[in-house]
Amino acid sequence: MTHTLDFTDLQKGQAFARLPLTITSDEVEAYLESTGESPEAWRELVPPIFLDALAIATLLSTVAIPKGVMHTGQEHESHRAARIGEPLTLEMRVSTLSERRGAIMIAFEAEITDADDTPVSSMKISVMALPDGVTA
Amino acid sequence: MTVPASFEVSRLIDQPRVDRYAEAARDPNPIHRETPEAYAGPFGQPVAHGMIVLGLVSEAMTGAFGRTWAETGTVKVRWRTPGLTPFTATARAELKKDVDGVATYDVTCTDDRGETLLTGTATVRHG
Repeated sequence: MTHTLDFTDLQKGQAFARLPLTITSDEVEAYLESTGESPEAWRELVPPIFLDALAIATLLSTVAIPKGVMHTGQEHESHRAARIGEPLTLEMRVSTLSERRGAIMIAFEAEITDADDTPVSSMKISVMALPDGVTA
Repeated sequence: MTVPASFEVSRLIDQPRVDRYAEAARDPNPIHRETPEAYAGPFGQPVAHGMIVLGLVSEAMTGAFGRTWAETGTVKVRWRTPGLTPFTATARAELKKDVDGVATYDVTCTDDRGETLLTGTATVRHG
């Protein structure tokens, strides 16, 4: 996997991804099969937490995350439901970055918008990197 | 609309499920798979993705509110303990308040060892 950013180079406020996102019925089906959730409610709509999972996948493919980084928290807000097959755009940025006793806390904000640039979902991914030599 | 006071969903989360999730969610982190990295890591074995556990919370909310959850829901959680596969996870929602058409739930997910995996809050606008 080729990452375009290194975790230690991230800066507060830095925007680092803006990419098109269209979620297919096959992708939703595979996600639901993996989680065990019934597909009944999701024939037309995307499960909201799958949007978060795809934002995390974008983060993992864009930023080289070192070993020992823990996903500590997640926030999600649905402004409306995302429809399967509709063209969306995912944007991400570093919203907070702080250090405490050698541990680095970073929160990434992601926003998913539709073709009219109207928000569909907003989310925040919080991670913590422990100091060298310390494990969770 | 009268909203439910509490509801829950349980599911076995075993390694095959975690492996399928890793594929579906495009999360290649080896700490979630049967890999040397997982066994050499801080937990001494593979751990489930926290997002599978959060997905169970979302599933519980979907069961209670249907597409309204997808249209208006919010959730804010922190992970407390990693899920060591295999385990049976139970996502539970308890009504905290229902004001001006917005129901707020305390949400938790526990495993069958008695560990709390996740805590947080979820809201849905139903009015």
